[in-house]
This record gives sequence, C-alpha cells and structure tokens, in this order.
Amino acid sequence: METQKSMAMTQTDTVPGVFHRTVETRPDQVALRHKELGLWRDISFKEYQVRAHEIGAALAELGLEAGDRAAIIGDNGIEWVMADLGIQCAGGVCVGIYATNAWEQVEYVVEHSDARFLFVENEEQLDKWLKFQNRVPRLERIILWDSRGLTRFTHPMVLTFDQLLERGRAVLKETPDLIARRSAALTPQDPCVIIYTSGTTGPPKGAVLTHGNVTWTARAVAGTNPISHKDQVLSFLPLCHIFERLFSVFIHITYGYTVNFVEKPNTVTANMIEVSPTIGYAVPRIWEKYYSQVMIRMDDADFFKRSVFRWALNRGRQRARALMNGKAPTALEQLGFGLAHALVFRKLKERLGFDRMHTAYSGAAPISREVLAFFQALGLNLIEGYGQTEGTGVTTLSPHNRVRFGTVGQPLDGCEITIAPDGEILVRSPGVFQGYHKSPDATAETLDQGWLATGDMGELTRDGYLKITDRKKDIIVTAGGKNISPQYIENQLKACIYINDAVIIGDRRKFISALIMIDEDNVIKYAQDHKIQFSTYRDLARHEEIHHLIDKEIHRVNQGLARVENIRKFTILTKRLYEEDGEVTPTMKIKRNRIETAFSTEIEAMYH
Amino acid sequence: MALLTVANMETYYDLVCAVRGVSFTVAEGEITAILGNNGAGKSTILKTIMGLIDDQPDKGTIHFKGTEITHWETDALVRRGMAYVPEGRAVFEELTVEDHLVLGAYTRKDKEEIRKDMDRVFTHFPILKDRLKQWAGTLSGGEQQMLAMARALMLRPRLLILDEPSLGLSPLLVKEIFGIIREINQAGTTILLVEQNARMALSLAHTGLILENGRFVLKGAAADLMDDPNVREFYLGMKSNTSTKGFQRWKRKKAWR
Repeated sequence: METQKSMAMTQTDTVPGVFHRTVETRPDQVALRHKELGLWRDISFKEYQVRAHEIGAALAELGLEAGDRAAIIGDNGIEWVMADLGIQCAGGVCVGIYATNAWEQVEYVVEHSDARFLFVENEEQLDKWLKFQNRVPRLERIILWDSRGLTRFTHPMVLTFDQLLERGRAVLKETPDLIARRSAALTPQDPCVIIYTSGTTGPPKGAVLTHGNVTWTARAVAGTNPISHKDQVLSFLPLCHIFERLFSVFIHITYGYTVNFVEKPNTVTANMIEVSPTIGYAVPRIWEKYYSQVMIRMDDADFFKRSVFRWALNRGRQRARALMNGKAPTALEQLGFGLAHALVFRKLKERLGFDRMHTAYSGAAPISREVLAFFQALGLNLIEGYGQTEGTGVTTLSPHNRVRFGTVGQPLDGCEITIAPDGEILVRSPGVFQGYHKSPDATAETLDQGWLATGDMGELTRDGYLKITDRKKDIIVTAGGKNISPQYIENQLKACIYINDAVIIGDRRKFISALIMIDEDNVIKYAQDHKIQFSTYRDLARHEEIHHLIDKEIHRVNQGLARVENIRKFTILTKRLYEEDGEVTPTMKIKRNRIETAFSTEIEAMYH
Repeated sequence: MALLTVANMETYYDLVCAVRGVSFTVAEGEITAILGNNGAGKSTILKTIMGLIDDQPDKGTIHFKGTEITHWETDALVRRGMAYVPEGRAVFEELTVEDHLVLGAYTRKDKEEIRKDMDRVFTHFPILKDRLKQWAGTLSGGEQQMLAMARALMLRPRLLILDEPSLGLSPLLVKEIFGIIREINQAGTTILLVEQNARMALSLAHTGLILENGRFVLKGAAADLMDDPNVREFYLGMKSNTSTKGFQRWKRKKAWR
C-alpha cells in the first residue's frame, strides 16, 4: 500500500469560498467570454459573482434550503455556469442534465434528484418539461434563460432569467449578507453537485460530489501541470459532464483564468481558431478528428509539401519518442525538431487554433497511441488523463514531457491507487465521492471503506504510472477460453483515418469480429478520389470498394495482434450513430450493450 | 435501363463547391425528383448536366443514352434529345406563343411531324391554342410556365428536365401543371424534376432524391420517402412531436438514418 500523503492543505474549502477568494484577488479579470451577435463579450469575475449571488438570493427567497437540489438543462453558456454557482453559493446542490436528453430522461433525473428548481435554456428544453410537468410535484419553479419565441407564453411556474436576477437584487438590498451567511454555513463534507452518469450501461446513476471533492481535485490537477490566471480555455463539452465542469467551473474559480464559450455545439473548430486557448481539453473522438483532418489534407498536398511534412513529422516523432521513453533528446534531435517547428508545425498549429496551447488533455475515454504520439510529435503536450465521475473526474495525469506511452500517468498528489487481486483498479483520494444519490446498493458495490472500485483493470508500472488494460465487464472470453481486451483492439482500429469507431465482438464466440463505423468525411473523400459512385451514406457504407478499403486497414491492424485477437470478419454499419438514438453517450462514447442488441442481426450474420 | 447516369459529379462556382460529388440515375420512362432546400445545389446539378456552367463539372462523368456527354455543348445535348425548362420560365416576351413553339422545334426538319406535335402540345395545354398570336410577355405566370414546357416538348425530347415548375404559381395552378407533367410522362417522356414543393413532387415522382449541402442524404421510391420521419418533418411540414403548449418554434435535429 502507498504511504499516506498529505491532504491537509484544502480541508476547509468550499466552492463559494474558493470562488470568493478568486474574485477578491482579481475582480476585474475576465472570467467568461461569450459571443453575442457575432462579437465576443467579456464578463469580469466581479460581475460573475454578482450574478451568481443574485441567482442564489432569489432561489433562497423562493424557498431553496441548504442541500436542496436545483437542476440545469441547456447548452454551455454564461447562464449555465452562473446558475451553477448561484445554486451552490446558496447552499443548494446543482444537477446538470444533458441538453440532448429526451424528455423521458429529463423527467427521470428531475424526479430522481427531487429537484425543486429547474433552469431551462430555451423553448426546446421548456417543451420537455411541459411533457411531464404534472408528474413531478416537488418541482416548484422553472427558470428560462432564452425566451425567444415565447414572448406570449406565460405559466405561473415559469420565470425568466432576468426576472430571477431582478428578484435577487431586491432580496440582496434587504439582506445583503444572505449569500455570505449561506456560504459560510457550508462545510467541505456537504454535497455541491450530483452528476448523473451518462452511462454506457443501465439507467443513469447520480454521483454525489462534495465541496471538498471538487475543490481538492481542482488543486490537484493544477499540481501536476501549471494552470494560472493567464490561461484561456474553450468550453464545448457538455457542462454536466465532470470533465467540462472541472475546467469551466471548479478549476476555473480556483485559478481565475478565462473561459470562452463556443457559439454552438457545431462551431468548435472555428471558435478554437478565434480563441486559440492555452489549455485544451477534449474527448479522444475530437483529437482523432483533428488528427485525421491533418493527415487527409497532407495526403492531398503536392509532392513537395508532402515530403516536407513527412520529414518534419519524423523529426517530431524522434524527439517525442525520446521524451516519452524518459530520455533527453539529443542536440541533433532538438535541432531537427526546431527546424520542423519553424517550417511546418508552427503554421499548422496556428491553423488549428493550437498555437498558444501549452497543455492539452484527453479524457473520458481511452485515446489511441497513434493519435497521442502524433500531437506529441507536433510539440503539443497532449496528456491523457484517467478517472471517473465517482472520483471527481481525475485520478491520474502525466506531468509535462513525462508522458509514457501506453500509460495514463501518475496518481494525483494525495491520491492512492492499489490493484485488487482480480486486477481491478482501486482508488482512494479526497476526490472520491460520497455515494450514489438514493442508491445505497450501488454505492456499496462501488465504495468499500473509502476505496473506489473503478471497474477498470490495470497495473502500476515500477515508476508509478498506471496502465489501463480494460473495462472489467468488457473483457471478452472466446469460445476457446482466451481472455481478450476489446478496448485495445478497438483503439488500434480507431487510429485508422477511415474508421471512426469500432466495437469488437467475440464473447463466447469462435472468433473475433468487429462492427465498424466509417469516418464519413474521409471515406467520402476517398470515394470521390477513386471515382466510387454512391448517393447516400447507406450506399457508401455498403459499397464493395469501401469494404475493401476497410479490409485493408483491418489486415494492417491484425498484423500487430496476437493470432487469437485477429479480426476474422467485420461489418460496416450502414447507419450513422446518434446520441438521440441512444447509441452513443453525450461525450460520444459508444454504448456497447446498446450496439450489440441494435445490430444483433448483423453480428449473427458474421457467425453463420 | 438508365437513360441518364451521373457519376461523382462535382461543380464549382470559382472556389465554392456547390455540388460535392453526386451520383444518380434517371430510369427510362420514370419521373425522378430531386428535392432540397434553397441553396442545396439542385439547380446547379441541372445546369451542370445541360452544360450551362462553363468548364463544369470539375470532376465526374455524365452519360445519356449510353454515350458520355460530359462537357458537351448545350446545343449538342439538345440535338441529342434533352430538353430543359429553366427556373422562372425564361420566355421571350416579344415573341408570340406560336413563335415559341416553332422555336422549340428549331432542330427538327420534319414539317409534317412538327405540325402534329403542335396539335399534341395543344391537347396538353389547350389554353395556348387560344393565345397563339399573343406575345408571351402578356401571358400570366402559369401560362408562361405552360408555354416554356410546350416549347421544350416541341423538341420531342427523350428526357425533359424541369427546374422548379411550380415556382410562383397558385396552388390550383401547381396542381394543374403537375397533372400535365404526369400526362407527358405517361405519353412516354422521361422526366427529371427539381422541386421545393416536396409534397407535390413526391406524389408525382417514381423516385426521389434528397439533396443537402451538395450531397444526397436520402434516395428511394417516392412512396417510401413520404413515410420517412425526417422527410415528413423537414420537407412535408408534418410535426412528429408537438409541444403541449400548442405552438412550437424550435425544430429537432435532423438525422438521416
């Protein structure tokens, strides 16, 4: 067992406390930026706090008591985080709901969390509530922040965001210290948010995180790699997911940098270039997309450019390889990289909006080694993190320039990791949650005397790096009795530019097969370049030549796999996967069980 | 047998790629309809086929009656049996109806047959017979549309290409025009049609293709498209889920499955 590490430093922290300290230190610093009619608008920390306090005061007046739940549903925006902090400053517990959830799921979360207040973004989200309004008696008020299209709509339960702020101002005039008192009454052991897991399996579970959990994790992340008030981040992953919440709220209020919100979920690439964040974070799917875009564009370039790019990439890889194996690059390697940077990488990173990025994180799902190595070669510090909602998102991270291939880094300072006899990773840290909301059974299965059972299999290297081998329940046992890690094979496949996602099948089967989701953009481009005729996505996915193309990729991947792991058959899915259809989570992780049942015909066809 | 085969066609307006690689066929004797919103690239497809956009298509091939016709001049295409009715009719205001019909048969020499065809055209469009000596500019919009179609028919085309025949016409006239299109088709002419009026087009056509941002997202028998939930919501204006408050401004995300 690891030695007990110090965790005393943050014993007394709460979200309002940390927020207050940052506002006091730098009231005029830009806290939030968002686009209004095409122009970026700044909001200072002072203003951010004033709004949050107004929201908190209004909620308190409307009856919110300490520990009461209030939910938020909508796309990322200033109102989302203002409401989040407003709820927490008033002593409430904030529950985020995915904007893409269907109304039935929204009802489930609102009902299960006993939310008394619900913040909704717009008409679309409001309509979801209207569907189940008569079935959730505990819900008292709806606060709407974008009322376009609803000027003539009135409902006794619905307030607009502006009305709420106004109400809060009036309350604060009467009792100016209301929020300060409420905040002061909080302890690190009090819950501050419930995060409903998007869940690759089963109905969502609500992980209860405390003020102590989130404030400790925020500091611990910054303890591994530097974060300061000068940083800029781009907020686009769903805010109810712990990954985005950490960077847009918890780490943000601890270090006082600037959070920039994307205009819409589909303007990420354009906003990335405009903002050029200094810290980047995204799920592997996004990094893979950037990677394949660059590779495809380079394939298309003329001979000269292509050669220069290839040369530069090799210089970058050489240096990255040295660094990732824990060695210092030689003077020659450094020189080569410097030249490659000046000729190629600097311009390339500028085009992508990565030119100011000193640290980039990938998390929420495993990233393929090839993609990680690619960004490292460009000189971008792409670091894979590992964690789960139940451990406040982050358990391990790699320090700058000490990323090890095949590992997810070292435990955060103050975090203990041990491997159970069956290979499961167990975690104990101040970031480990209190339990699932109203689910003592699920909590008992996950938490044992402070140790969090992660459900992941892994091992620790001698120098303290964690290696993930697979999800415990995903391990495939073939009919021949061999244990196989689907994740490893899937990652190899995902690194192919023509493959977006893959699901490995083979549990209790004679051989391994795969369901393949093609990368639409790249495969269409391939089809155009090779004069392959198709009219719709379905045609494309069923085309013989595309089958050949994927076959070649699979053959290549098979070469690097053990014989039993070889993919003998595969099927390209003729349908795009949608979150609305329940096939992927909001962070674009594939729901394996769902896919296996939805495409059982295709799977069975491969075994007959 | 496919009368017209378009393969991997890409069309650029300078640097803007308007048609991003489309492939489709028009079956002999059928009505094929291309549907899509404004700016999807529908008209561009037709214009590219007709050789009306200089140096386009940038990529891809077009075959008509088994012969490659990519980059052919428009007049050669017309001589080969393709007639095109442009969007917005494009009649000559100061020529009479009769002049137009004669003009439509410009490439033909068989006087006797032309006369017969003119009579046949009048069975489709009796109103034109009454307007024979009138200037086209004095006709109503619906009559002009009929005239433009009549002019095209005088060519006795194998393939009739119509660019938004319902544009700017009253609902009753649209019905009439579509009725005539069906008659023309039943008399043996293959038709390729571009339309915004999805309901009318799908009720008429055999095959439908849905174009978005220069790419096809859906194709199939017109009857099947009518049942597709996305087509119903986004092209036929039928709501799949309605708000309980009685009105709804937002639309759900489109998802082509």
